[in-house]
Amino acid sequence: MRTRSVLDRQTIVVIGFLAGAAMLVPIFNGLVAQDSALHVPDHLVPLLGKYLCFALLALSVDLIWGFCGILSLGHGAFFALGGYAMGMYLMRQVGSRGVYAHPVLPDFMVFLNWQELPWFWYGSDIFPIAVLMVVLAPGILALAFGWFAFRSRVTGVYLSIITQAMTFALMLAFFRNDMGFGGNNGLTDFKDILGFPLQAGSTRLVLFVVSAIALGLGYLLCRWLVESKFGKVLVAIRDAENRTRFLGYRVERYKLTVFIISAMLAGLAGALYVPQVGIINPGEFAPENSIEIVIWVAVGGRGTLAGAILGALVVNAGKTWFTGALPEFWLFALGGLFVFVTLLMPRGILGTGQELWDRMRQRSQLHQAAPATSQAAE
Amino acid sequence: MTSLRILLRAIALLTAMAAGAMAGPFEEALPKFSADSYSDTEAAISAVAGSGHERALTVVEALRDGRLLAGAGQVYIREASNGMIDAATGEIVGGAGNLKPVRVNNRVRRAIEAALGNLTLLSSDTRTRFNAAQAVFRSRDASALPVLERAIAQESDLRVRGALESARAAVILNKPDAPAVEKKIAVEILSRRGDQDSLALLSNVSASSAPDLAKAASDAAEGIRTRLALWNALQNVWYGVSLGSVLLLAAIGLAITFGTMGVINMAHGEMVMIGAYTTFMVQEVIRLHAPGLFDASLFIALPLAFLTAGAVGVLVERCVIRFLYGRPLETLLATWGLSLILQQAVRTVFGPTNREVGTPGWMRGALEIGGLSLTYNRLAIVVFAFSVFAILLLVMRYTSLGLYVRAVTQNRRMAGSMGIRTNRIDALAFGLGSGVAGIAGVALSQIDNVSPNLGQGYIIDSFMVVVFGGVGNLWGTLIGAMTLGVANKMLEPYAGAVLGKIVLLITIIIFIQRRPRGLFALKGRAVEA
Amino acid sequence: MTAPITPALLYLDNITVTFDGFRALNALSLAVDHAEMRAIIGPNGAGKTTMMDVITGKTRPNQGTALFEGSHDLTALDEAAIAELGIGRKFQTPTVFEMHSVEDNLLLASRSRRGPFSTLFARQTPRERERMDMLLDRVRLTAHRRRKAGELSHGQKQWLEIGMLLAQEPKLLLIDEPAAGMTDQETADTVDLLRDIATTKAVIVVEHDMTFVRDLGVKVTCLHEGSVLAEGPLDAVSANERVVEVYLGR
Ligand SMILES: Nc1ncnc2c1ncn2[C@@H]1O[C@H](COP(=O)(O)OP(=O)(O)OP(=O)(O)O)[C@@H](O)[C@H]1O
Ligand SMILES: [Mg+2]
Repeated sequence: MRTRSVLDRQTIVVIGFLAGAAMLVPIFNGLVAQDSALHVPDHLVPLLGKYLCFALLALSVDLIWGFCGILSLGHGAFFALGGYAMGMYLMRQVGSRGVYAHPVLPDFMVFLNWQELPWFWYGSDIFPIAVLMVVLAPGILALAFGWFAFRSRVTGVYLSIITQAMTFALMLAFFRNDMGFGGNNGLTDFKDILGFPLQAGSTRLVLFVVSAIALGLGYLLCRWLVESKFGKVLVAIRDAENRTRFLGYRVERYKLTVFIISAMLAGLAGALYVPQVGIINPGEFAPENSIEIVIWVAVGGRGTLAGAILGALVVNAGKTWFTGALPEFWLFALGGLFVFVTLLMPRGILGTGQELWDRMRQRSQLHQAAPATSQAAE
Repeated sequence: MTSLRILLRAIALLTAMAAGAMAGPFEEALPKFSADSYSDTEAAISAVAGSGHERALTVVEALRDGRLLAGAGQVYIREASNGMIDAATGEIVGGAGNLKPVRVNNRVRRAIEAALGNLTLLSSDTRTRFNAAQAVFRSRDASALPVLERAIAQESDLRVRGALESARAAVILNKPDAPAVEKKIAVEILSRRGDQDSLALLSNVSASSAPDLAKAASDAAEGIRTRLALWNALQNVWYGVSLGSVLLLAAIGLAITFGTMGVINMAHGEMVMIGAYTTFMVQEVIRLHAPGLFDASLFIALPLAFLTAGAVGVLVERCVIRFLYGRPLETLLATWGLSLILQQAVRTVFGPTNREVGTPGWMRGALEIGGLSLTYNRLAIVVFAFSVFAILLLVMRYTSLGLYVRAVTQNRRMAGSMGIRTNRIDALAFGLGSGVAGIAGVALSQIDNVSPNLGQGYIIDSFMVVVFGGVGNLWGTLIGAMTLGVANKMLEPYAGAVLGKIVLLITIIIFIQRRPRGLFALKGRAVEA
Repeated sequence: MTAPITPALLYLDNITVTFDGFRALNALSLAVDHAEMRAIIGPNGAGKTTMMDVITGKTRPNQGTALFEGSHDLTALDEAAIAELGIGRKFQTPTVFEMHSVEDNLLLASRSRRGPFSTLFARQTPRERERMDMLLDRVRLTAHRRRKAGELSHGQKQWLEIGMLLAQEPKLLLIDEPAAGMTDQETADTVDLLRDIATTKAVIVVEHDMTFVRDLGVKVTCLHEGSVLAEGPLDAVSANERVVEVYLGR
């Protein structure tokens, strides 16, 4: 009987990596001399923090795509909603330090001549409520969307297309000034979070560490989900949806549950992302962004969780490098990556690695079983 | 009928009066131009213009262009060839003495404009007369009345005559001292004309005039309003059909590829873009080497765009998609990657900015039917979209390629085992779908910016159309496109463009929940598997 | 609407299913008792699979009554609810969860609460583990319990699917062409297994293989063009003139 242990090798590696990052980055940033090669410059801290947020987002996509076969091309919407919820809090923290120095209304509302706060902004200045909204807003959207979509058994490419339509519709909506979220410009010019100035190096370090912890917890949650019987049902749904139904499982309930969990994770990622980049605007809803998330997962290896994290880090680091060094080639590289991974490496880096590893182990086992064969082949 | 008779009699009377006043006012007025005083010049203009003399137009035009020269009571016109002619007689004269151009200021310029409007009413060119009548209709200048009467009396062209009469009606209605009878007639004429301008004129009347006239005017205005609302609705339907045709063009190729292979081709928009850039290239070559062919440029571009985009499509199918058969989600990702590559390639070659694609002469202007205005380029696109649809329908129904494609759409495995080479059909169908996208690009280059992002704008919309209409059914695509187009344009006046679009997207999302396979879904076991 | 109470476990009456005007089932009536095994035969396209689709809620009939245990209206329930009532099904083409191990396949099928929250916190009890061992033994897959189901042979998959059916502990088993792709020995073993199962549960078996049906030795129903052509012992049915006509062509 295989023992179900949360502390398998992959988990140890991921958690170890994140813990290391959470400790080393502050050390190399604060304690190592500026001219040392090991010094992590200040501007890198929020960038690395951003990568971690993307990794959490990728994790949420992997949970539904890798394990339940739901290819969402609209997960950026949940990310952006979480980001907006956090952005609203940060906006309210600006208080009377805004350009128009209005004590309550954010600048863009004053600019639009609004007299009072819209109802959906109530409570946004209270941190716990903001945090609650960070997961509730995406969760409720996922519930509403998934409720209809999964119950009427929309699957496969049709589902992908309507998730894309969903994020597109939201993007158009958030571009409108009357939506009350700053229209085109979104929410920006934040000052501080929980009283700590966002520009300060120490705040950024803390945000980085919090992102690492969130990613670690998110990973453990996903791991626990997919290792449970619940996770096995998810995989069963992914591979033979109808069969699962004839076994008596209410497929739509499973899909809905995992979709909501995934949306909440994505929202959390968005909420951590916004204070580190200092802006959230409707562009985050763009369908292109959502498709890009999927490729992070595909590159790392779908259905492996750790692969999603790896993929997000690798692709985004690549993007940073390309847009700095060879900006006009980034789209070629990204496009090529889509084609390459789907055609030649459908299981991604981790999956392919795992395959090679398995094959090598099998071979060495064969060798042990039959000592007559030459060991030199290794 | 009596009113018409009264009108005719009035016109006859006025014409007679005008004719009586013709003995030499032109010659009398001319010398005033040499007085070098603005008020004299103004008086001279109105006298010349009112004279009805055959040379009046020439003189006023010369004045406008600064070619009217005067000195010592004599007035001349400088010709383009630098020769001089006598303003009064049009005879060529030799060197004249000390001449200066007649000066004008803004007031004089206005007088010139008004005079020209009146004078061109009598021009020998029907078009000029018509435009002049329209100008008077808009200016409602009371001083034009005498000329207008004359023009009406001698007008033989029905259309121009109508325009002249409405102009006269507008002037009369706007003239406080015009007799009530005439005003009544004017109301009638305007109500028959029934456009936005007439409505404005009629609405102005109601306030201050005699009760029965006010009533007639407001009734007429009401009638016009209803009629305009009707035309307006029709116009919106037309915009909708026009948008629907654009959607149809963009989506129809997708319907083929999606229908046969279940392949979500995210690079479909880029095939449209390739078609548009092909048009651009064709026009560039024509501009450089054969400018005379410009009007035919689109017809030359059509086959080329079909071939280019089709070839790219076949290439894409052979190199990428065929390895992903049976994995639609992966295909979606791979083709998305291809779309990024194609976009960036075009951006690298042609630059990121919009490229100028010209409109052939025959596509400019608009066709006016009643209150409808159908621009020729939109009209051409509607006709084109429906032709493409019809051709494709015939291809699918009556060629062996169509038969095979349909067979593969309905049951791939069965078709394969019956000896249809599904591989080749896939490649051809993909090429066909991409080629159709290419010719859609030719059409769309006429109404959209030709830039590397051209295709992106259509991809979501065309998927909506295909998914809404149902896969594997061209009629579904047609109905889907038209429904979405018309619904979009009908929503726009109420909700605004953006909100309308959002409403539509949400409606489609909900619709797909109800009918996951679209309006006209294929049925059968193979589809469900 | 008060349903007619029937003592039969499964009661189909006047069921009609049309696809675009084509009648796949035409006023089909059939009753199966508790712990009865019934063999269904009929030429291709007779509507056998469609009948199972109706019973399991995959296809909704255009008209007719389908009752389970005399009171549950099958036409109003969805697949999951019907499965929970105690109707299990093996498909014509074996469908197991290829990426899961043999053991996990059985685990997923085994009778337990099906809701997301129950499965999230589910733990395997020693009794369940014991039962699992027994099941594995019964379908002869103990040696393969850790292997991925996708790696099994066709016949093994058929058995695994039957094992999954058993794990479900249904009251009625619908088995579509179990012998397809099996060796003679495997077929004979399958016959034994089914007869064993039928001592406690109701079973409906669809099969084309006449030796297999003969070996089962149960009442046979012959379907043709969506309705019952003949019913009775196999010998009687195969002696029926119309059955012969249908099978040999006209
Ligand atoms: N979803 C569907 N859409 C259209 N036709 C269908 C559908 N399902 C079944 N049919 C048709 O209904 C008829 C009965 O099919 P069914 O699969 O029930 O036959 P069967 O008796 O199981 O045949 P076989 O022995 O080949 O398995 C067939 O003609 C089939 O084509
Ligand atoms: Mg069958």
